[in-house]
Amino acid sequence: MEIAYYPGCSLHASSALYDIQCKDVLGMLGVDLKEISDWNCCGATSAAKTNDFLAIAMPARNLGIADSSGYAEMMIPCASCYSRTVLAQKALQTDLDLRDKINSELSAKIQGKIKLLSILDLLVEKTKSGEIGSKVSKKLEGLKPACYYGCLQTRYPADIQISDNVENPQGMETVCEALGAKAVDWNYKTDCCGASASVNDTDVSIRLMSNILKDAVSRGANCLVTTCPMCQMNMDAYQDKAGAKYGISERLPVYFITELIGLSMGIDAAKLQLDRHFVEATGLLKGLGLL
Amino acid sequence: MSSQTLNIEIKTAGSLADEVAARSGQNLNACYQCRRCAAGCPVGEDTGVTPDRLIRMVLLGDREEALNNLLVWKCVACYTCGTRCPNNIHTARITETLKQMVKEQHTEPMNAKIANFHSAFLTSTSHFGRVNEMEFMGIYDMKTAVNEIKKGGGFKSIIDDLKDQMQLAKAMNKLKRMHFGIDKIKGLSEIKRLFAKAKK
Repeated sequence: MEIAYYPGCSLHASSALYDIQCKDVLGMLGVDLKEISDWNCCGATSAAKTNDFLAIAMPARNLGIADSSGYAEMMIPCASCYSRTVLAQKALQTDLDLRDKINSELSAKIQGKIKLLSILDLLVEKTKSGEIGSKVSKKLEGLKPACYYGCLQTRYPADIQISDNVENPQGMETVCEALGAKAVDWNYKTDCCGASASVNDTDVSIRLMSNILKDAVSRGANCLVTTCPMCQMNMDAYQDKAGAKYGISERLPVYFITELIGLSMGIDAAKLQLDRHFVEATGLLKGLGLL
Repeated sequence: MSSQTLNIEIKTAGSLADEVAARSGQNLNACYQCRRCAAGCPVGEDTGVTPDRLIRMVLLGDREEALNNLLVWKCVACYTCGTRCPNNIHTARITETLKQMVKEQHTEPMNAKIANFHSAFLTSTSHFGRVNEMEFMGIYDMKTAVNEIKKGGGFKSIIDDLKDQMQLAKAMNKLKRMHFGIDKIKGLSEIKRLFAKAKK
């Protein structure tokens, strides 16, 4: 089965490992991800804070490309890219003047056809159908992940239908269960890490990250798992700083959900690029006999 | 929590609220100050202004206060306030709108660093169609440095920021998470035309 794929800027840069993992893991599950041609940056959170027209127009161009791709569905792994693209699609469904205004500059016009999927939409479906379970060759016993959704997986500044519980989502937990990992119940699943504030308002962000880390540790988690490259980068790259400032000595590796799925399906650790974490991520797995 | 008196500006009250409501698409008048938003705001304790207070400022017409308070800038758009609001008021859309209004009136934003970050991001996307992390950070650093110098500040904060960034860059490089290539899209002219249309 082939579906359209929008990786976004992060998956072509600092989170390139996630791009590779998505392709490999979904490939093993029979989903061939076809990257749409010549896609542009969706504008992420910055466009919405700078210019409302661009906040819609930028992801809109990608919708036009997707509509012309010949595929019925498009999967977007990054929570921010997915969020902005869904918001643009919704706005353009009703504001046809705006749609025409944007379409007049595009060669691949927006037609409103493409169905957008988040990575969890796809993975949860593959879990419930038993496909992931049937491909698990190594149960991730001993792994106790705190599933971290961040802000954008379940929250939108508009009326968008969410397929999971907004305050206490279960998508990643569902997948983890199929992998044999025991996800912990915890309080900070959807709490903000500060996102770009890690660079432009560091003290605030470090405090928010420390709260997340502290709760995960207190619940007995031995790692974090996430689907968003921003969440992963922040909780991974700044964990040392946050832990040091707030007196948290434990360090939890921050995995992408695809790393855990890949690992349990027998994909080689080097291929998954498990060695590209700031908080060392292979030691825990080796200790549990999973590597 | 400081208790700050907000004054009603009779002459401008209606027009500011209308402008913000129209641009943000949010019905500010529906707010009845239940403060569910305040309870969930991750930056509330840092700003002293919670979403409900910001709405109040806008409704009372205090334009100066509404555009120049810490929440406008420190709001990270986590969307918790709007998700929990019983009246569906997405205050993050209001802070996004107020950030844009400050930019349009060409006054110094209260937190230039945050403002520069977002405009640098967007500028970078207009160069190649996709963000090049290094180029974007370069633009951000330059804008922030110039601002600091204009303010008459010393070089310490600029250097401290650069040190932090270099440390991160070093770690990223070691982990092979730095991306050095330029990803220029073929349809860049379409992006540039959209950017031009945005200015009108």
